[in-house]
Parts: sequence; C-alpha cells; structure tokens
Amino acid sequence: MAEVLITVRLAAPATLEAAMRRLGLTEDEVDAAYGLVPVDPGRNLYVLRVTEDAGRRVGDSGAGAADGGPYSDPPIEPYGPPR
Amino acid sequence: MRVLIQLRPSPDLVAAVADPSVPSMASDVADGLPGVVLDHSYAPVAVPRPMPASPGGDPLSLNQPLVFSMAPQDASVVVRGEIADDEVTSRIALLPAARRDVVAVYADPAIETSLTCGGDPAVGDWHDVERLLRVPDLTAEGLDGSGVPLAVVDTGINAAYVKSARGHDVTVDHERSWNPQSVSGTPGDFPVDHGTMCAFDALIAAPKASLVDVPVLLSRRQGGSTLDGLLSDAIAAYAHLREVLDAQPAESRALVVTNSWGSFSPRWDFPPGHPGNYSDNPAHPFNLIVGSLAEAGADILFAAGNCGTQCRDSRCAYPDRPIVGANSHPRALSIGGIDTAGTRVGYSSQGPGRLAARKPDVCSYTHFAGSGALGDGEPDSGTSAACPVAAGLVAAVRSRWPSTVLPPAQLRTLLRRTADDRSAVGYDHDYGYGVVDAAGIIAALRRRAAKAA
Repeated sequence: MAEVLITVRLAAPATLEAAMRRLGLTEDEVDAAYGLVPVDPGRNLYVLRVTEDAGRRVGDSGAGAADGGPYSDPPIEPYGPPR
Repeated sequence: MRVLIQLRPSPDLVAAVADPSVPSMASDVADGLPGVVLDHSYAPVAVPRPMPASPGGDPLSLNQPLVFSMAPQDASVVVRGEIADDEVTSRIALLPAARRDVVAVYADPAIETSLTCGGDPAVGDWHDVERLLRVPDLTAEGLDGSGVPLAVVDTGINAAYVKSARGHDVTVDHERSWNPQSVSGTPGDFPVDHGTMCAFDALIAAPKASLVDVPVLLSRRQGGSTLDGLLSDAIAAYAHLREVLDAQPAESRALVVTNSWGSFSPRWDFPPGHPGNYSDNPAHPFNLIVGSLAEAGADILFAAGNCGTQCRDSRCAYPDRPIVGANSHPRALSIGGIDTAGTRVGYSSQGPGRLAARKPDVCSYTHFAGSGALGDGEPDSGTSAACPVAAGLVAAVRSRWPSTVLPPAQLRTLLRRTADDRSAVGYDHDYGYGVVDAAGIIAALRRRAAKAA
C-alpha cells in the first residue's frame, strides 16, 4: 500500500511510541523501520511514514492530531545521464 | 529574454533604414523603449508589408496571393533587444501602449543547432574543468577542501574507482556516512554508478574534501535495474546530516551537500495546491528540512534537472516549470549545466522554479570526459555532473571560510554576484545569474578578508 508522511510536534524525549500514542496509530499503520525522524529540532517537529488511510485519518486535513499531512512521498531519481 | 521589436516609425526613417547606403542604428528608431536593453550591435532591418495581390483581398490573411511593399509608408522596422525574464509578460503587454510606434514584440529564439544533448560525445575533459575552475589558483589560496565534509546524497560511492580514475587518494568519512534503513553496504564500497561519478566531479575543485557517502537512491529498486529512492529516505538522510553539522565545533563548522537527483513526474505527488503536495509546497517536510539544515550552516546544492526545452530527458513529465520542490528551494543553490565551451547544454532545465522563481541560480560544467563511471567513453553528464562540480567549488571555499564566518546565505549571494553573466539584463532563466567564476570568488574573498583584517 502506498505510504504518506505526516508531521507531529513532540516535546523531548520524542519517541515513535509517543508519536503513535499522540496520533492514535496502530503498529500496522506505521513504518516502524523508518521510525520518527526529526525535521526541525528547534521546533520539536518530527515526521513519520504511515499508510495512506492512517494519514488521511490523523492528518490535519482530517482534523486529527498531526501537525501536518498527509504529505506525498514520491520516488526520486538521479538526474543523469540524460535519456 | 531576447526579443525582436517591430516598430513603424515615420516614413522618412523607414526609408533611411531600407536604404543600404545610409548607416542606421537601433537607437535611431527605438531609443527609450521602457524595460528594453537594445542590442546596438544589431542594425535595424526594414521589413516589407504583406498586402493582398488583388483588390478587395483580406488585409489580415496570409493565406492568399500576396505582394510585399517596401514603400516607406507601408514597411516597418525590426530591432533586437532584451527584456528581463521576470518582466517579459508585463513588458510585452505594455510596450505597444507605452509607445504608439511599437507594432509587436516577438521572441527571438536561438536557432543554433549545436547545443550539446544527451548522447552527444564529451565536450572537453575534466582537466578542462580544472582549468576553467582555476584549481591551481584555488589551491594557492589554501582552498582545496581540506577538512570539509562533502556529502554526496546519491547511489553510493566506490572510492577505489574514484582513486583509480583520479590518480590520487580519496578520503571517505566512514563515521559521518549513513545508509537508509533498507540499504546495506559499506561507505565508499558501493557499485560504480551515478554516485561515483558525482564524487569524482566534486573532487575536481576540492581534491582534499572528505566524502560523506549517503546512498539514498539505493533505498528502493524497481525491476532490479532502475536506481531510485523515496523522498522520505532523503528526509532521514538530512536529519542525520543535521546531527553531523551540530556535532562540529563552531570555529570550523562546514558541510556541503550535493544532490544530483529529483522528481521527474507529478504522477506520485499530490497536485499543486493540495496541502500535501511536494513540488510547489514549501511546507512539505523535505522542503522544511532543507531550509532547516541550510539555516543551521550547511551549503546545499541541487541539480536543476535535465528537462531543458531543446533536448529534454524522456522521463520529464511536468508540463512546465520542471525545476520542482527542493531543486528550486530558496535556501539551496540550483545548478544548471554548461559544456566546457561555455554553452548551456540543451537538456539543462530552465526556470522559473516552483518554490523560488529565480532558478537556476548559476551554471556549472557538465558533459565532459571525466570519471567514466557511467560507462566506457560516456561523458560525466546531466546537471547531475554540474551540481557536484559546483559543490566542489563551494567545498574549496569552506576550507578557509567556515559557515560561522561566511553563512550559507552569504556564500550563495557571493556565488550569484561573482557569476559570469551571460545576458545583457542580469538574471535569465537559462543561465541564472551566470557561470560560476572561481577567479571572481577568490577576488571577493580577498576583499572580504582585507576588510575583516
């Protein structure tokens, strides 16, 4: 299933478990291997990868507890050589 | 943008322009056009007026028998000039209103057929790039990349190959290198591919930089042959690079990050305007972390892309404005490509960018015989090569100028200000502010050092 990104603000010590509790996410909905990644330490802002359904549910557009999202997670490719 | 301006001045002026025995200049017929820098080397040209061949013909139709009148009361005059890229639409709309003698403004596209494209042979070699970047002069100034971590966010580096191709030792910083969770492998020991080319090209101007290997583009393989990754892995990589930067002492803080990759297609993105969109949205987490890392002291460079109008990569799927997302980030440098003859390669993406309009920022060298990492006889090509070449130049500067002394924003301004401008009106969407100019950079740094002393 396609996955999306959501952001959350958490006070230190921020953990994936704390983010999941805050957002009401289950283990099946979260890419635990990706984990909880700091985006901007100064703003306590973190990102996590979740299923598309979960992203819609907890993202800010779904009136959930996330700070932002769901955001796209597009593939990226090398810019060379030109084909 | 170069333009042709058609005017209908007084008949005696038209007659003078049409008379080959009378010398005439652009300023004679078109002086004072607001927002237009006239090309005075281009003599005005009289253009005949098409008219219906038979009485009663449609005066506006060109699809009928025509005669062409050079009579002074019928003919017009064309001059050449340049309008700033970010004023083109408004100037073209306003010129005929501002000046009653202006009939129309037309594009004057380059008609040269010799722009370098994908598949063309190399133009020069990496020693030409060394010469153009004035590497001996940089070295004499102590600007050789010593002690500067240079992160190659790509497909991984093969250090043994780079060492062999360069004929010099290569330093890979194992401690600061990082793999995405789905990638196993040792820093500096990945298969020879795109990332190895980037590492080789980055070392041209900064031979003593310490390579930080970040093989994000190995994070996802499709069909076993295509190299690609996910933007989420790039976010995780940047979070690691933030730790690398923060761990450095302030007096020597420096981190240069070269990114020769991007998104070719809007297919996997939310559409522009959607809050989760990447291509046009500064609030996307990757665009946020790029801004955050740059603010913390990193110099971040992105390839502009290979979607130039003259010979775009077949994967380019954005209908317009192909410099998207972080490749157009206001706190990163977007690097276009020129060949070693100084001409923009036809595949180098043109602006405006989607996050910041003035992209690309500057151009650097590509399409030269270099690493050979892409295959025997294959040039180091794409804006993929131009970006690390420029990153090497930035890393060279950082050997003596840490980010606490010369913040990334000031260094970006310095590179733009010293660039060798390729148009008559400053910034343009083909070359940006111009071609990186090591001599200009050295001179500016000397002035700065003298002022601080």
